[in-house]
Order: sequence, then structure tokens, then C-alpha cells
Amino acid sequence: MEQIASHPAAGQKKALPGDFAIWIFIYAELLVFGIFFLAYAYTRAQHVELFNTYQQHLNRESGAINTLVLITSSYFVVMAVAAIRRGAAGHCTRWLILAVLSGSVFVWIKLAEFAAKHAEGITLSTNTFYMFYLSLTFFHFMHVLMGMVILSVVALKAYRGAYNAQEHTGVETGASYWHMVDLVWIILFPLVYVLH
Amino acid sequence: MKYQSQAVAKPYFIAAIGLFVGQILFGLVMGLQYVMGDFLFPEIPFNVARMVHTNLLIVWLLFGFMGAAYFLVPEETEHELHSPLLAKVLFWVFLVAGALTVLGYLLVPYARLAELTMNDLLPTMGREFLEQPTITKIGIVVVALGFLYNIGVTILAGRKTVVSMVLLTGLVGLAVMFLFSFYNPINVVDDKFYWWWVVHLWVEGVWELILASILAFVLIKVTGVDREVIEKWMYVIIAMALISGIIGTGHHYYWIGAPEYWQWWGSIFSALEPIPFFMMTVFAFNMVNRRRREHPNKAAVLWALGTAVMAFLGAGVWGFLHTLAPVNYYTHGSQITAAHGHMAFYGAYVMIVLTIISYAMPILRGQEAADPRAQVLEMWSFWLMTVSMVFITLFLTGAGVLQVWLQRFTDNPQPFMVVQEKIEVFYWLREAAGLVFLLGLILYVAAFFVKGGERVMASNAVADTA
Amino acid sequence: MDVSTRRALQVWLALVVLTLLTWAVGRAGLGGGPVIAGILLSVAVKGQMVADVFMGLRAVRSPWRWMVSGWLLMVLALIGLAFFTGET
Ligand code: HEM
Ligand code: HEM
Ligand SMILES: [Fe+2]
Repeated sequence: MEQIASHPAAGQKKALPGDFAIWIFIYAELLVFGIFFLAYAYTRAQHVELFNTYQQHLNRESGAINTLVLITSSYFVVMAVAAIRRGAAGHCTRWLILAVLSGSVFVWIKLAEFAAKHAEGITLSTNTFYMFYLSLTFFHFMHVLMGMVILSVVALKAYRGAYNAQEHTGVETGASYWHMVDLVWIILFPLVYVLH
Repeated sequence: MKYQSQAVAKPYFIAAIGLFVGQILFGLVMGLQYVMGDFLFPEIPFNVARMVHTNLLIVWLLFGFMGAAYFLVPEETEHELHSPLLAKVLFWVFLVAGALTVLGYLLVPYARLAELTMNDLLPTMGREFLEQPTITKIGIVVVALGFLYNIGVTILAGRKTVVSMVLLTGLVGLAVMFLFSFYNPINVVDDKFYWWWVVHLWVEGVWELILASILAFVLIKVTGVDREVIEKWMYVIIAMALISGIIGTGHHYYWIGAPEYWQWWGSIFSALEPIPFFMMTVFAFNMVNRRRREHPNKAAVLWALGTAVMAFLGAGVWGFLHTLAPVNYYTHGSQITAAHGHMAFYGAYVMIVLTIISYAMPILRGQEAADPRAQVLEMWSFWLMTVSMVFITLFLTGAGVLQVWLQRFTDNPQPFMVVQEKIEVFYWLREAAGLVFLLGLILYVAAFFVKGGERVMASNAVADTA
Repeated sequence: MDVSTRRALQVWLALVVLTLLTWAVGRAGLGGGPVIAGILLSVAVKGQMVADVFMGLRAVRSPWRWMVSGWLLMVLALIGLAFFTGET
């Protein structure tokens, strides 16, 4: 994606990293997740017992490990951006591949978690807590998949030499999206798995 | 006119305006029947008038979209239309099929029409907006296929721009979603699903692509702003529209027997649907402010800006008003819904079709823009129609709020008909506003017949820029 | 290793430590007002670090940066409020 022509954020301090369009998405996504989180919190306030009880049934370990996985892959992406800013396209590609691989670790762990809940016969209609747990984590899960697709495309382009030290908007665009996915999970994990 | 084949758009636009007049007349008939129950009894029962009103709306908008495509695609692709003849033939097929269907509604009882058209072979009739006999529906599909073929081949052969690709995607989506109307499940929950997959995924999904692309086309033409800037906006608007709109379908699943979690999913995602409409407003004003030229067709610019504002108000604001499940619990199916339906359809789709007609018609008639006097008249009609539609919406909203309050919200709910009597005054006011709307429409038509002297636009435009 | 990559590594470490802390609190079954406040505060710190260092928003013109920070603080504050009103 090319930079938006003459957009207003091109002032003295730096503009947003990556394509401006991705930031419109990021802000919109943050808005949706924010509303979802608050819906969770305020519904919980009306069903404290229920939420506290079923929270105990979640797999806190897999949630925590997944947080570490996402944080780490975000770090890899930071390294990928740093690499391409130096013009090291090869390094950039390798960091991106590592990030995508950690993303797939997240996906596997999450799938195992969903499978376990599914085996217990838990669905969106089981109760309000599970409705939120499944909706929130599934919605986030879709974003992880989306982010992995974006990063893979960027990695492929980096491998083919599409980026260099001067022109690497695409890398920053993908990176920004991936950090958003990370940022959201950083709130989601304590909110749904831990806080009571 | 840059390409000869753009001329086929003209009959489409004329037919659209003609049917628009019919739609409004039937709206006025119904508006009167709301307050004088036996008006035109037994010739035109309310349910028939309603069917004609809404079906004419859909049909003339489709004429408008097709005309827009025939006008816009050659210019965007820099390539003559694949087959102008096919476009002309399909025009007549569509017009005759539409006329026969409306005559069928008016002349025979609906049940008899169903029998005559052998509805029992493949029952599809009886659902709002989709009342057409099955053979008419098949006819619509045939016309749509021929149309898409014609447009698609042209686009493939020529320059591929974002505007024409988005338009094509929207039009293909329109045809594909319509296929859901061919399945009419016995189960009422399923039935509602399929119905909304046509109606909602049209107006809050694929039609938004059509809207965005026509608006972008007109803005490119009248402002001279760089295509690249406009294209970036389009990508973002469209992605937002589809993401929020598709899951937002859930705002119709609250009370139809779908699982409860839809109250959350529907509320949250449909609450985002105003964002793309808002972005369209910002986008349109932004482009006009950055314009690189003064286009002599002031009326078209007015329509384009009007579309952006009114679509946001009708769809974004009035849609948001009742989209959250706890609110919709009370307002569902009330006059609030009708208020929103009117302003949204008018603001988004009626106005975008009038925008492209306003831009294209003078060109199709061999001028860059209409005579200034004709434009003044057209602008009057813009304000009369738009302001009266705002009032129709406000009166219906007033009626709706009272209705919801008296009939549903209080501790002592009153029966439907008792409440209807109490809010009668709003229906009278709505009818009055409707008459003003008709006046605006008459002026709109009249503006096409204003004969000016020799064109003075060129010197005018110079004066404007100076 | 230059300054910016070292900072990223430091942030990564801090994020890991705070996450492990959160997990330990959950494992110990701790809950209630002060614990909730503490965890939300740590989330605010984590989120701001991700925004500033990972996303690189520290160097970005302020309205864009504050939209993310403001979102973070507002969401966390309102979550906190909800949890305190829900306390039985
Ligand atoms: C241009 C776009 C739109 C058009 C043309 C439109 C039109 C309509 C129409 C005609 C209906 C009535 C359907 C029926 O017969 O029951 C309706 C219902 C509804 N619309 Fe829209 N709409 C648009 C956009 C939106 C948006 C953006 C929202 C939400 C933010 C929205 C929210 C709703 C809701 C919640 C209902 C159901 C009302 C009820 O429960 O009775 N609409 N719309
Ligand atoms: C361009 C202008 C108009 C548009 C786009 C339009 C659109 C619509 C739509 C979408 C519906 C179905 C609403 C629903 O199901 O909630 C409808 C119904 C109706 N319209 Fe219009 N309309 C227009 C003008 C008028 C005018 C001028 C009048 C009369 C003053 C009118 C009177 C009615 C009435 C009485 C109904 C039936 C509502 C009911 O079933 O209770 N419309 N119109
Ligand atoms: Fe809808």
C-alpha cells in the first residue's frame, strides 16, 4: 500500500508509522474492542457470582502463555522494522517469519482451548459469561489470523526485495496492525481470565 | 459526452424519474389512508398501495443504478460499452416487466396474481419489498445477468479504475443477494433470515459500494481532485462498511427467534455502521474544499454534498437511534422504523441517483451543464424535497416516540388503535410535508424543460472563480 | 545493538514480568478492590509501553498518539468503575 497523498498528519513531528489508512482501521478496531470490553465489565457487574464462578473454569495457563507468545512476536516485528530501516531486507524477512510462527503458536493454543470448551458442550448460548468469553476470544482470534496473513504478505514482499531503507511503508503498516492485535490481548487476558 | 455508447443511460434515467413520480403519488395515497381509512376504497387498498410504493422505489433505483453504470463505465474504462443494443433491449424488457407487475398489483387481488403467475411452483411472493411474482423475479435476474455481462466485458476490455471495480463489485453483490429471495422457507425464523439477507445486505452492504463509487465518480469530475486521494478514501470506507454491515445484520436478529448473543453482536457491530457514512460526509466536503476547478454544474455539486449529509443523517443517526437491542426492544416495527426507512432511502439512494442524473443528463443532452435558470429551479427542487423529507422524518419520529411511549413503555400500555388515534395529528403533518415533497418533485421534472438562451455558463464560471 | 532495539528488548522484558505477575495473581486466586486496581494499573503501563515503543507512537504528532493512550486509559478506568460497582 502506498502512502496517502498529502494527508494532514505530515507535520513537524513524525506522521503515523505505515499507511494512514491502516490507522483508521486500528482506531475503529480499538473502538469495537473497547465497547466489547465495557459490555463485558458492565454485564459482569450484574452477574458477579456467575462470572466469578465460570472464570475459574477457564484455562488461565494457556491464556498467560498466549500473552507471552504475542508479546514476543510483537517484539520480533519491532526488530523486523528496525532491520528494514537499516536496509537489511534479509533480516527483516527472518524476523517477520519468526513473528508469523509465534502467531501460529498462539493459534494452536487457542484452538486447543476452544476444542476443550467445545468438548464440554459449551456454546455461545450456555450462559452470559461464556457468551462473552467465546465472542471476545473468537473475535480476537480472527484478528490474529488476519494479522498473520498481513505479516506473511509483507514477509514475502520483503523477501522479494520490495522494501529498502528508504521505502518500507508496507512493513510499518503490517507492524502497526500486529501491535494493535497484541495491545488488545494485553487487556483481554487479565479482564477475562484473571480479574474478579 | 465522451463516448457514444454513454447515450444508452438516458432512457434509464428518464424511466427512473417517471417511476419516482409514481412512487410518490402512491405514498401520498397511503399517507391519506392513514388518516382517512376508506380513501379510495375499494379500488386501492392500503396494502396494495404500500406494495406499489416500495416496489416502484426499488425498481426506479435499479433503473438509476443501471443508468449510472452505463454512463460511468465507458468514461472510467475509456472504452465504448460492449453492446449498446443489449442495453437498449434490456431496458425495454425491464420496463415492460415492471409495468406489468405493477398493473398486476393494481388490477387483480394479490392471491389471484400469485395463482396466475404459478407462485406455487416456486413460492417466493408475499414478503415486503420482494412481493414480485416469481416470473418477475426471474426476469429481474435475467436483466441483471445481461447487464452485468455488458458492464463486466466493458470493464475487462478497458482501463480498470477503482471506481469502476467497486461499482461492479456492488452491482454483482446486488444481484447475488437478490438470489436469497428465491428461497422462501416454511420456518418463520429461517424466512426472516433470508429476507434480511436481501434487504439488509443490500442497503447496509453492497449498495453502499454502489453509492460510494457513484459519489466518487461525480466528485472526481466536478472537483478535479486527484484520483489517488479519492481511491484511498474509497478503500477505507468500503472496508468499514462491509465489516460493520455484514455482522451488523444481527440488529435484525434480536426478536426473530435467533440465539440471544445476537443482541450483543448485532448491537456492537451495527453501532459502527454510521462510521462509513460519516467518513463519506467528511470525504465529500474535503474533496469539494480542495477542488481544483469550478464546475459549471452547481446543481450536481449540491446533490453530491446533499447525499453525503442526508445519508449520514438518515442511515447513520436515525439508524443508530434504534439499533441497540435495549432500545430496539421498544421501538421495533414502530413509526421510528418508518422514519428511519424514509430518510435513509432518500438520503442515500434516492439522492445518489439524482446526483448522477443531475451530472449526466446535461451531458447526455449535449451541454456541460444545464442552463443557469434550469439549475436554479433544480436547486429549489433539491431544497423542497430534502427539507420536506426531513420534516416527514421528524413527524414520523414524533409519532413513533409517542407510539412507543403510550403503547409499550408505560405501566398502563394502551391498545394499538387507541394510540394511533392520539398520534393522528402527526400523520396529517406527514401528509402535508408529503405534498411539499411532490411539489419539489414537480419542479425537479420541470427543470428539465426550462429552455435557456444561448449558454452563458463559460463566462459565468470564469466570474465565479475570479 | 542500537538504542531503539535495546529499548524494545527492555519493554519486552517488562511486559513478560508484568504478565507473569498477573498470571501469579490469578493462580493465587487473589481478587477484590486493591488487586483489581493493581492489575489494571499494570495493564495501563503495559499498554502505554506497547503504544509508545512497539508501535512507535512516542515520536508521533500528539492527536494521533493521544487517541491511543486516551482509549487505553478510558477503557481501563471504565472497566475499573464497573468492577467496583459490581463488588458485592
Ligand atoms: C442507507 C442505508 C439504510 C437504509 C436504506 C435503511 C433502510 C431501512 C428500512 C427500510 C428499514 C425497515 C425494514 C422493515 O420493513 O422492517 C430499516 C430497519 C432498520 N434499520 Fe436501516 N437502513 C439503512 C441503514 C441503517 C444503519 C446504518 C443502521 C444502524 C446504525 C440501521 C438500523 C436499522 C434498524 C435497527 C432497523 C430495524 C428497525 C426495527 O426493528 O423495526 N439502518 N432500515
Ligand atoms: C423519496 C421519497 C420516499 C422514499 C424513499 C420512501 C420510502 C419508503 C419506504 C422504504 C417504506 C417502507 C418503510 C418501512 O417498512 O418501514 C415506505 C412506506 C411508506 N411511505 Fe414512503 N417513501 C418516500 C416518500 C413518501 C411520501 C412523500 C409519503 C407520503 C406522504 C410516503 C408515505 C409512506 C407510507 C404511508 C408508508 C407506509 C408505512 C407503513 O407501512 O406504516 N412516502 N416508504
Ligand atoms: Fe439493517
